[in-house]
Amino acid sequence: MAQQLAMVIDAAKCIDCKACVAACKVANSVPEGQFRNWIKQADDAPVPGKASGKAKFQPGACMHCDNPTCVDACPTGATYKDPATGEVVIDHGLCIGCGNCLPACPYGARFRNAEKRKADKCNYCPERRAAGIPPACVDTCPTKARVFGDINDPESEAGRLYQKNKDQLARVTARTDTKPNMFYIGDPGTPDWGGEAVVPASMVAMKQTAPLLKAVVGLSGLGVLAMLGRQLIAGSGDHKEDTDA
Amino acid sequence: MPKLHKRHDKSDIFIHWFNAACWILLLLTGVGLIQHPAIDPFGSGYPEGLRSLVGGGANLLAIHEGLGLIWIAGFVFYLLINFRGARFFLAEIFAVSPARDMGWMLKKMVLMTLGPKALKAVGMDPELPDQGYYNMGQKAFAQASVVGGIVIAVTGVIMYLSDRSFGAEATVLVSWSIALHFIAVGLVFAGLLVHVYMAAISPEERPGFKSMFTGVVPDDYAKHHHRLWWNKVKTEGE
Repeated sequence: MAQQLAMVIDAAKCIDCKACVAACKVANSVPEGQFRNWIKQADDAPVPGKASGKAKFQPGACMHCDNPTCVDACPTGATYKDPATGEVVIDHGLCIGCGNCLPACPYGARFRNAEKRKADKCNYCPERRAAGIPPACVDTCPTKARVFGDINDPESEAGRLYQKNKDQLARVTARTDTKPNMFYIGDPGTPDWGGEAVVPASMVAMKQTAPLLKAVVGLSGLGVLAMLGRQLIAGSGDHKEDTDA
Repeated sequence: MPKLHKRHDKSDIFIHWFNAACWILLLLTGVGLIQHPAIDPFGSGYPEGLRSLVGGGANLLAIHEGLGLIWIAGFVFYLLINFRGARFFLAEIFAVSPARDMGWMLKKMVLMTLGPKALKAVGMDPELPDQGYYNMGQKAFAQASVVGGIVIAVTGVIMYLSDRSFGAEATVLVSWSIALHFIAVGLVFAGLLVHVYMAAISPEERPGFKSMFTGVVPDDYAKHHHRLWWNKVKTEGE
C-alpha cells in the first residue's frame, strides 16, 4: 500500500500558542504577512472566570486531500498529488503563478508567495524530513497536538493514532468535500471554516472549449483527408491550366 | 524559360520558414505543458514523455518560453528590415471582397473535396472567381495567423511575466491568458493543417510552394491562380 502522509491532530491539546505558525514561517522563509499554516479560533473564545466559553481551535494547513480540487484547477499539472506519498506537491519550476489553484482550495491553504510569485502552501518540510526530523510545526508544538506521518503505516506514530481513534476522527467540514488527509481527534471547528472550492471562470472556459477545439481540429483534419483522398483517386486531372497564356 | 514574376522578398521567405520552425517547436513543447485530463489535447502520456525527455516540466517550460521569445524577436527583426513588406501583406490579406471571395471559398472547398461535378450537380459554374495577390483561402489563414499570432504572443508574454514581475492582482489576467493562448493555438492549428496540405501536398499550389523558396512564380501560374494580381502586374509592371 502506498504511503499517505497526513497529520493527526488532537485539537483539544492545542493551546493556540501559534508556535507552529512561527516555526513554519522560519523553516520555509515565508514572506512577511503570509503564512503556510494556521490556528483558527472560534469567536466564542473562553473568557477568564466564565464557565460557558469552551476553547475551540483548529490547527491546520494544506490537508493534502484525496480529492484535491486545487490539482483540478491547475492546467499544467504544476500542482499534483504524488501517488507514492499522497502529498499534494507544487512543482515550482512549472508553476507560473496564474493563481487558479488558490480559490480552488476550500480551506484557504494556498496563497501566492509574494516573493516567488508562485503558488505556495504546506509541503510537510521536505528538507527537514530528508534530515530525519519532523516538519517544523510538528517539531515545535509544545503540547504535541500535531502528529505527522504515514497513516497507512501502523508502526508510525500517526498510523497508530489514526488506527486507535479511527471511529472518532473528524475532518474539516467544507461545502466541497475534498477528503482531506488531516484528521482531528475532537472537534475541528465550526462548519464555516471550510468553504467551497471555486475553479476560476477562465479554467472552466478552457475545459469547456477543449472538446470544441478538438472538434474543429478534427473537422479540419477530415477536410484534409477528403482532399487527399480525392487527389489520390481522381488525380489532378480536373485542374486545368489556362492554355491562352 | 517561362516568364517569372517576383512574389516574395528574401525577408518574406525568411520570416515564413522561421515562423514555421518556431510554430512546430512551440506547438510540440506547448502541448507538453498541458497536463489535465479535461484539456490535454491528446489525452495521453505525451506530456510525461516529453517532460522526462528534457529533464522535467520546469525545463520544458523554460524551453517553451525561450522559443517564444526567439519567435517574437524574429518578428521584430523582420519588421525592422521589411516594414513595407509587412504593411503590403497586411493590406492584401485583410482586403476581402465579400461576393467574389466568399464564392471562391465555397466553390474551392467543394472542388477540393467533392470535385467539379458536385458544383455542376447543384447548377453552379465550377469556374472560380478571379483572385488577387492572395486567394481567399490564403487570406483566411493569414488573417487567422496574424490575429491568432498576436493573441498568442501577447498572452505568452503575460504568462512569461507572471512569475517575474506581476503581483497577485494580475492573476486573473494570467489565468485568462492561459485560456486564450490555448484557444488561439487550437484554432490556428486547425487552419495550419489545411495550409500545409494545400501548399505542400496538393499539386494545386505547387508553384506557390516553390515560390516560398525561390521568391518567384511562373507567368501561367500567376495568371491562373492570381489573375487580378497578374492583370495588375501586366498593366503596372512588376
